Amino acid sequence: MRVAVVGKGGSGKTSVSGIFARALARAGHHVVGLDCDTNPNLGLSLGVGDMETERLLSLRDQIDEGEQSHAHTWEDILEAYGTDAPDGVRLTVVNRIDDPEPD
Amino acid sequence: MSAEQLLSSVPHADTIIVADLEAGIGTLTRLPEQAVEHTLVVVEPTPRSIDVGMRAVAVATEREQGHVTVLASKVADDADDARVRTAFADHDVVTIPTDPIVVNADRQGLSPMDLDASAPAVEAIGSLVGQLTQ
Repeated sequence: MRVAVVGKGGSGKTSVSGIFARALARAGHHVVGLDCDTNPNLGLSLGVGDMETERLLSLRDQIDEGEQSHAHTWEDILEAYGTDAPDGVRLTVVNRIDDPEPD
Repeated sequence: MSAEQLLSSVPHADTIIVADLEAGIGTLTRLPEQAVEHTLVVVEPTPRSIDVGMRAVAVATEREQGHVTVLASKVADDADDARVRTAFADHDVVTIPTDPIVVNADRQGLSPMDLDASAPAVEAIGSLVGQLTQ
């Protein structure tokens, strides 16, 4: 199942995403958190902490700057550009968003 | 790979993907039809947030992005709740009360789940688990 969480910036969208992902995991589901925001903070809301959230963002920046190659499969993305969050949630940051619109 | 490509192609038979999309409706407008099974539209009880939420609901419905649930976020009182429910009268609305635990967690860079998993806002969001996975 895929769940998209949308809303205006500042609406609490990312807090909802993080809490919902962990609640799903606590209920026994296998959960992947996919941070597609241009200001990616899902790591904080999931509880992975500042340093790990920053590390994931730095990987994204390295890809944008051509220092890292894009992963081509879902498994590669989760392995190379993901991290384990509490309750067994796997978090990954999507590394490129084409033509983002202002909120 | 873009968010749109990833969401529409990701294996999801045994996994629940929770995608925190970019602020606004940009990603939603670019998603292929039927890319997700559920769309959660998070709305504060403010005119601008409700306006963005209404546009998100319209796009998600038109592009068949699964069942749409509106989450009334940061609701302080009955008037806040009524404001959102009136705007989304034809949709399922779940109320998330304003909660100091969420505010404190945000300030400290922590998950509200790790501060107090029984906080009212956390429990309200947790109530979605049963609704969406039935």
